[in-house]
Amino acid sequence: MKHVKVIATETICNEKGTGCGECQTGCQSACKTSCTVGNQSCEQKKTNRTTKVKQD
Amino acid sequence: MVHTFRCLGRYFALDVESGSLFEVDELTANLIEKRSPLATAKGDFSRYNDAEIAEAESEIDELIRRGVLFAPEPVHPEPVYKGVVKALCLNIAHGCNLRCRYCFAGDGQYHGDLDFMSTETAKNAIDFLISKSGGRKRLEVDFFGGEPLLNMKTVRATIDYARKVEKEAGKEFRFTITTNASLLTDELIDYFNREMYNVVLSIDGRKEVHDYMRPDASGKGSFDKSLENSLRLVRSRVGKSYYVRGTFTAHNLDFAKDVLALNDYGFGQVSMEPVVLPDGDPLAIRAEHLEELKWQYELLAKEYIARRAAGKEFGFFHFNIDIYNGPCASKRLVGCNAGDEYLAIAPNGNIYPCHRFDGIEEYVIGNVNDGTFDNSLPTLFATTNLTKKEECNGCWAKYYCSGGCAANSIQICGGIKKAYKVGCELMRKRVECALAIGAIESEGREGERSE
Repeated sequence: MKHVKVIATETICNEKGTGCGECQTGCQSACKTSCTVGNQSCEQKKTNRTTKVKQD
Repeated sequence: MVHTFRCLGRYFALDVESGSLFEVDELTANLIEKRSPLATAKGDFSRYNDAEIAEAESEIDELIRRGVLFAPEPVHPEPVYKGVVKALCLNIAHGCNLRCRYCFAGDGQYHGDLDFMSTETAKNAIDFLISKSGGRKRLEVDFFGGEPLLNMKTVRATIDYARKVEKEAGKEFRFTITTNASLLTDELIDYFNREMYNVVLSIDGRKEVHDYMRPDASGKGSFDKSLENSLRLVRSRVGKSYYVRGTFTAHNLDFAKDVLALNDYGFGQVSMEPVVLPDGDPLAIRAEHLEELKWQYELLAKEYIARRAAGKEFGFFHFNIDIYNGPCASKRLVGCNAGDEYLAIAPNGNIYPCHRFDGIEEYVIGNVNDGTFDNSLPTLFATTNLTKKEECNGCWAKYYCSGGCAANSIQICGGIKKAYKVGCELMRKRVECALAIGAIESEGREGERSE
């Protein structure tokens, strides 16, 4: 593509098996005042989740 | 919903529902914006020829066809209260040796008397957490205050007890301590490096800012001691998690300098939070500060990229978004889970939705010492997830902040479903910067991500 550079696609995982609840709660890290969930890491990502990037 | 934005001199498009991220040219950003059902301006395309426009339109159509642009919102499941608790904030000390000007807890005493959690209450809290944790394996306990180092006897007893019972219970405890570091000793540093999964050290940045905002009880600035002790801890921590965390207020709207100062002092992992105070407080962040603060985030993002590119260790909590593989959709709907899976315990054993509610009578859920637990508030918090917050449903950043902090909504805006708008504006700018950083730093690393 000439006008669009694909950085990452379909990064929000809705698949079966997610929502295990083993990840860190947002407020246990460093914020304590402004909940930021986007930067929490997934405890399963090294096991059964897949990544789709750079499909072009 | 698609959000197009300009950050660090480049244009990006975020497909909200799929989480897909694209760098686009200005023409394509405007064409995507034009297709948004919410768009009011239709854009000026007079400087482009028809062939260019057709080409960009065709690329947009291709992304839509692939389901990665203007992806429909999935049907999210109705939130239900499951009664599982996996994280506790133990307010180990209602008291502090510092007198920070912005302290939400009133000199660390939560608007009550000086109080310290007993070892018995702390053990009851651990038993409570295990009994409520259901199938969760990793349980989190945060030692908070006030200043938890004023009550290390209970901190040590809590950890000893949890380590003794975790294996039999089939659990794994992860401890965090949040401290102003002024009372750290070498023995405590060794202890924290052994036992604490994460350490959060409170320093506000430049010495003059920190000393003004965080004096001790005699009025003397606490910077020198906090910095010296924090550096000793961080240098010995070797690969283990920590954050140096500051707060910025209306007093230091040029807070990017404070973040960079922390990095200059030798801290690789930094967080800096906007203060949350009622509008009338002279230190409160107000709407008229937002443009300056957004500019500060952009300045910080630019320097952040430069330092990291030069090989310097520099993590900034709010820029640390994994653009490829962040939390799952379920997590993005519930946020920090305060009042549901995350609760706070006061020194007297009272259970609250989170540390920010400690001391507010109508938010007492129960008590770990007498075994009382009323499901009413946890049910309210659990069932008021992102999907129930109307103001958030139309926001492009909803899956990154998950509806925000419930305490801010309730205490500043008057209702759990309300949006704390000053915080929302800052959150959106931080997420834009984080996404732009992720995209820029991915350049040249395409082949590395094959997981």
